[in-house]
Amino acid sequence: MVHCERASKPLLQCLQKASTKGLPALQVSSTRTFQTSARVQEEAQSEAQKLPFNKSPDPALVSSPRLERRLIRQGISPVGSRRRRAALQGSANIPFAQLPYQCFQEARKVLLQDREEKLADITRLREKISRLEARPTEEAGGEQVKKSRLGGMQKHLEHLKVLADINDPQVKKKFEDGQGDMSKPIYRYLADQKWREYRRKILVQRITQMKVIPDVLPHCDPIVDTKLYFNRSAVQPGDFVLANASTTAPKLDIQLFEGGEKLVTIAVVDPDVPNLETDGFDFRTHYLAVNVPISATSTKVDLAQLSVESQVVLPWEAPVTQKGSPYHRLSLFILEQKDSQPLDFAAVKAKESVRDNQLLRTLQGRYHLKAIGAHLFRSQWDETTLEVMEKIGFPLADVELRRKKIDPLPYKRRNPSTFR
Amino acid sequence: MLQSRFLTPMRLLERAIAPSLRSSQSLTRSSTTTPSSILPRPISATPSPLSSRLLLPLSQVRHASHASQGAGNRHSRDPAGKRLGAKRSGGEYVVPGCIIFRQRGTKWFPGENCALGRDHTIYATEAGYVRYYLDPERHPDRKFIGVCFEKEGKLPTPRNAPSRRKLNRVAVPRIDIADESTARSDLTAAVGADGVMVASVTAASAAQGPQLRPGYMYREANWQIGRAAEKAGITAKPYNRKNRWLAWRKRQARADRAAQMKSLKNKKKAKKGKGGR
Repeated sequence: MVHCERASKPLLQCLQKASTKGLPALQVSSTRTFQTSARVQEEAQSEAQKLPFNKSPDPALVSSPRLERRLIRQGISPVGSRRRRAALQGSANIPFAQLPYQCFQEARKVLLQDREEKLADITRLREKISRLEARPTEEAGGEQVKKSRLGGMQKHLEHLKVLADINDPQVKKKFEDGQGDMSKPIYRYLADQKWREYRRKILVQRITQMKVIPDVLPHCDPIVDTKLYFNRSAVQPGDFVLANASTTAPKLDIQLFEGGEKLVTIAVVDPDVPNLETDGFDFRTHYLAVNVPISATSTKVDLAQLSVESQVVLPWEAPVTQKGSPYHRLSLFILEQKDSQPLDFAAVKAKESVRDNQLLRTLQGRYHLKAIGAHLFRSQWDETTLEVMEKIGFPLADVELRRKKIDPLPYKRRNPSTFR
Repeated sequence: MLQSRFLTPMRLLERAIAPSLRSSQSLTRSSTTTPSSILPRPISATPSPLSSRLLLPLSQVRHASHASQGAGNRHSRDPAGKRLGAKRSGGEYVVPGCIIFRQRGTKWFPGENCALGRDHTIYATEAGYVRYYLDPERHPDRKFIGVCFEKEGKLPTPRNAPSRRKLNRVAVPRIDIADESTARSDLTAAVGADGVMVASVTAASAAQGPQLRPGYMYREANWQIGRAAEKAGITAKPYNRKNRWLAWRKRQARADRAAQMKSLKNKKKAKKGKGGR
């Protein structure tokens, strides 16, 4: 901790009060910005009625691991990095606009001017779009041309919205603190960038290396961030999950990085069901739900809580792996419904009542779905599998798979007559 | 080769001149020297000791010093063959583990249902028919060896097609772990009060009492020494994670020891430096 605090002594020290303890985070009374006199007397009364810092730590200022742990146990996560929180303890916490650095303020002016320009661009583009929309189709050069022009302009508008805010230090700070408002394009953009930097790469690697991509679906370009939780613990893509942990349906956190709401179909498919007759593998659908709404702000989807009357086509079936069978890949796909139109639930339910050998490829073609997100976990035989099998009435619980002995090639003479 | 070729005219010259020289030298001994010695003559033919002595400088003898010249290079330039190459040709039937291609480096890469061995040998992982193929979608200029399940099948399979696999398992009644351990019981050793039992055989009495041990030491076996505390009924305190006092002492001891070792190391270095100078 010592090095942390030492490293964070900024130039702000010159502005620091003689004794600043328990500073209220992120709020400064503008009346006493540049005063170096003690604030202690003013806040003495309020300090008296407040609890000491170690009894009720401030999530924006706490820097000792013990207090952090206490906060986390209470369900409050500390804000930002520990180094920054330690720095804030000793700083006067002056807003950017009032910092007394000339170069910094000049730079801010440049950024603010750029933002003004971008805002002007946005209003101009909006007017242009409304003008184009108002024009009749024939005059605009046909329906196709008008549509493509409008689409291009909308795309540019979204880009401008991001550019207007991307240099704002306050936005960056808020995003890094995890306080970004996902209803705003800039925070969605930043979150998307962050996701693509690491988590998406891992996901794509797992689903391609473990061959989920050609086995279950021919192609998938994930654009939503999917997190999977069994009993409140997160599962990394491709993790092995214990059989008793996956008896209940998982919870999902589906983060959309676009504006608006989407209706999606969620399917969990196992492409590794052993089939002894064909000496191959079968598919099995463990879960299927349609018409699930997701948006950038409402991300939580509990597969067990979805409505049975209007969403769940096939309820959750616990995955179990026979002893000796190769591991099962339980692949979860989030498929966007065409134009976010709801599917006819009754018709889907009537048609997709069979779990065995229901190919996701067929479903995709039949209902015009497009895979926008994926996740993967694996299951294998473990200590808890047997009891789960008994619980769900798995028929082949007392059968084990053993490697088939393969006949060797016929013996070949080492010294046939042709060699002599 | 070159040398011998170079020497032949010299020898011929020598042979042409030699008879006259020798005849003049050995007139007293014999006058039977004939130019017939120029003709190739099998060594196994029984020459008279006299004539053989006479012909000695003429016959093609390669002395050890000559024979060894260039031998080292010759053999290194032409080492023994390593028997590399294809062991199974395209379309041949293979079973898992069957070696298909031996190579130095990866001239060929393992394709479907094949794997690469420690010395880049390509072997089959499934039973099927060998295929040699190119797969530009996977890699633009690699050559692959794969195994196809059907005799008339084709490789490579399209990239977006589901992979074709075989289960290769048979169903048997499930055996619990407890049963498995009894099945493997002939390799379990049980340590009792009366010694070690491997299966139903008692261990030899080598461990009883002090004996002459390696290093000419007359002592008990190591394992008996190790169990001395147990016999004496000495029990160690169970480790308590929360005993921070103990943890501090241990940490301190470790730090002290590290410091000591460091100082020793420095001393050694300093000594070395002095010696060097």
